[in-house]
Amino acid sequence: MPNILQVDAIHTFIGQFHILEGVSLQVPEGSITALLGRNGAGKTTTLKSILGLTPPRQGRVVFAGRDVRGRRPYDIAALGIGYVPEHRAVFRDLTVEENLKIAERKKGDLARRAEMIFALFPDLKRLGKLRGGQLSGGQQQMLAIARALVPENRLLLIDEPSEGLAPILIEQLMESIRTLSAHTTVLLVEQNFRMASQLADRYYLIDDGRTVKQGAMKDLVNDRATVQRYLGAA
Amino acid sequence: MAFINQNRSSIVTALSMLIGVALLFAGMSAPTAASILLSGITLAALYFLVASGVSLIFGLMDVLNFAHGSLFMIGAYAGWTFYTNPRLIFNTAPIGLIVVAGVFWGSVFSARISTARWMRWVAALVAIAILVVAVRGFPLDKLVAMGTSMTGKVIPTAEAQEPIAVMLVRMGVALAAGVVLSFAMGTPRQPGAARVAVNAAIVALLALALLFARDIGEQGILSMESDLRFVFALAFGAATGALIGALMEWGLVRPLYARPIYQILLTMGLVFVFDQIIRLVYGPAGAFMDIPSFFAGSGKDCPSPDVVSWLSQHCDSISVLGRPFPSYRLLIIAIGVVMLVAIVLLLQRSRLGMIIRAGVQDSEMVEALGINVRRVFTFVFAIGAGLAGLGGVVAAPFLGVYPGMALEFLLQAFIVVVIGGLGSVPGAAVGALLVGLARAYGDHIVLAGIQLPWMTDVIAGSPAIARASTVLIMVIVLLIKPTGIFGKKE
Repeated sequence: MPNILQVDAIHTFIGQFHILEGVSLQVPEGSITALLGRNGAGKTTTLKSILGLTPPRQGRVVFAGRDVRGRRPYDIAALGIGYVPEHRAVFRDLTVEENLKIAERKKGDLARRAEMIFALFPDLKRLGKLRGGQLSGGQQQMLAIARALVPENRLLLIDEPSEGLAPILIEQLMESIRTLSAHTTVLLVEQNFRMASQLADRYYLIDDGRTVKQGAMKDLVNDRATVQRYLGAA
Repeated sequence: MAFINQNRSSIVTALSMLIGVALLFAGMSAPTAASILLSGITLAALYFLVASGVSLIFGLMDVLNFAHGSLFMIGAYAGWTFYTNPRLIFNTAPIGLIVVAGVFWGSVFSARISTARWMRWVAALVAIAILVVAVRGFPLDKLVAMGTSMTGKVIPTAEAQEPIAVMLVRMGVALAAGVVLSFAMGTPRQPGAARVAVNAAIVALLALALLFARDIGEQGILSMESDLRFVFALAFGAATGALIGALMEWGLVRPLYARPIYQILLTMGLVFVFDQIIRLVYGPAGAFMDIPSFFAGSGKDCPSPDVVSWLSQHCDSISVLGRPFPSYRLLIIAIGVVMLVAIVLLLQRSRLGMIIRAGVQDSEMVEALGINVRRVFTFVFAIGAGLAGLGGVVAAPFLGVYPGMALEFLLQAFIVVVIGGLGSVPGAAVGALLVGLARAYGDHIVLAGIQLPWMTDVIAGSPAIARASTVLIMVIVLLIKPTGIFGKKE
């Protein structure tokens, strides 16, 4: 499988702080790749660095064969990256419909993809006129993912989708992510190891701003010592 | 309907404030109340034009633009100059525009060259030096002196203007200054160098066109009928405001988004810069712009008994319950209302409006969707500045043009947005109405004194009351609702 995304030894600073000290990873097209690590390890910053929201000072970010480091975030996203940030950043003052509409890159994107999106998240269809701020946490999370599906993105960056959701909702969400991975590649940041381990094909483990381990997810599941050491959970 | 549901408490607060103001009118004779009300709405329309821009810009970009009152003043001066002394524009605008073209052209190259900080300082100094050479001995005073000539009179053009050849040399030098200036700015520009170069070429051509058309253009404008000329003056004032606003955002504010305190210092500094530029060019004295003939008729039928007959008579005033009300103020009110509707439609119905509303909450997420947020920022800054410029021109025949109008309107606009809630356009409208009514009522007290029902004597007011009243309203609103009536942000 060719890599849709390749990150080579990026270094990112936020203010004075050296957050990423050489993160490298490769995301094969068509896979779900999990980015694991404890709180503050630099997972979110890695996603933001790929998009240029926190531009890396060194290293390379190659998306679909193009080195995108140094480009503006809108320019990188427009190449075909969808971003689902943590805390379900839907636009609270926009209706559900507008939240989807705003993500269009070409006129008619939403109309073309509506069937697929509403098949994944049937609830959103009847919520169209409500505002983002009126939705429940689970509904907001679905909307945030649906929004990233409106244009034809080749890669989705999904940050902590299960955070703050009830177990039953997490089950639904996992099912949705598994289904949508048929359409697009996913790079998933997830604290919930059980969820990540069931979804992802491959994993990268980062700690203190460095990639420390990588491989097939099924190997990590059996490697209790590593999980205990870096994630502190079984 | 959804709007009402979501802002129920805001609307209740707004209504109760308005009722509170209305109570002040109790016991007043109907004609007096009507005239205060109309004056208040007139002022409110002007305040709204300035405050809506402040509010939009703060809502989207978190930039508190202290220079917004200056943009109002610049619009007023630009419109007035267009109306009475277009020659000044035809002889100065080309030089200004060519500097801008130079900066654009230079940015195509300077973005690719990384320069040390000290080199930027050198470039800045060199640019200023070249600019001084470019405008050395420019006969500004002669050009401005004609500004006081009678309106409608075509000004003889020969002696004050420099020959075209001299102007071309000045423009060449100014172009060089612009190119060097872009190296001083040195911030990386967005991709699309070819488009930037083409835009620069368009600006440069516009500058040349203005220069070569200066005689025909001036004749053309001055021989226009006053109503038409006024419409063009409105457009020119708004366009000037928008252009300066866009340049301000692009060149000065944008490098400082990461440092909000510097933004405040920057925009405050600009207040003084613009103030001094206006005083330098036009002198400290103010002037009144003529009221266009559509609103300036007189005769035995005047004042017109009602609005319908006024439409055919064009009297300078309309009788409202027996008192004459200047008809020009109807235009101010109309423009305020039209702009309110236009902004609301833009925000609620267009894709751009959707992006703005989303960006108010989270501009980073908007950018992550693949939308060039910086371009939207510049555009919104330009819209806000254009509204202020438009307001300035409309105000010019009513309040006159004078250097102090910048601070006066900045202060009122800030009070308006604080009352209405920073970032909310309906809030700006309600705030403007409250402040406008309070000002008009305060002015009335100053003239007539105050006698509430339980008082035996009339208490005479001082002019300070009119100003203090608006601050008083602000204090009351902030005590009840610290975010302002429609505010969501802290």
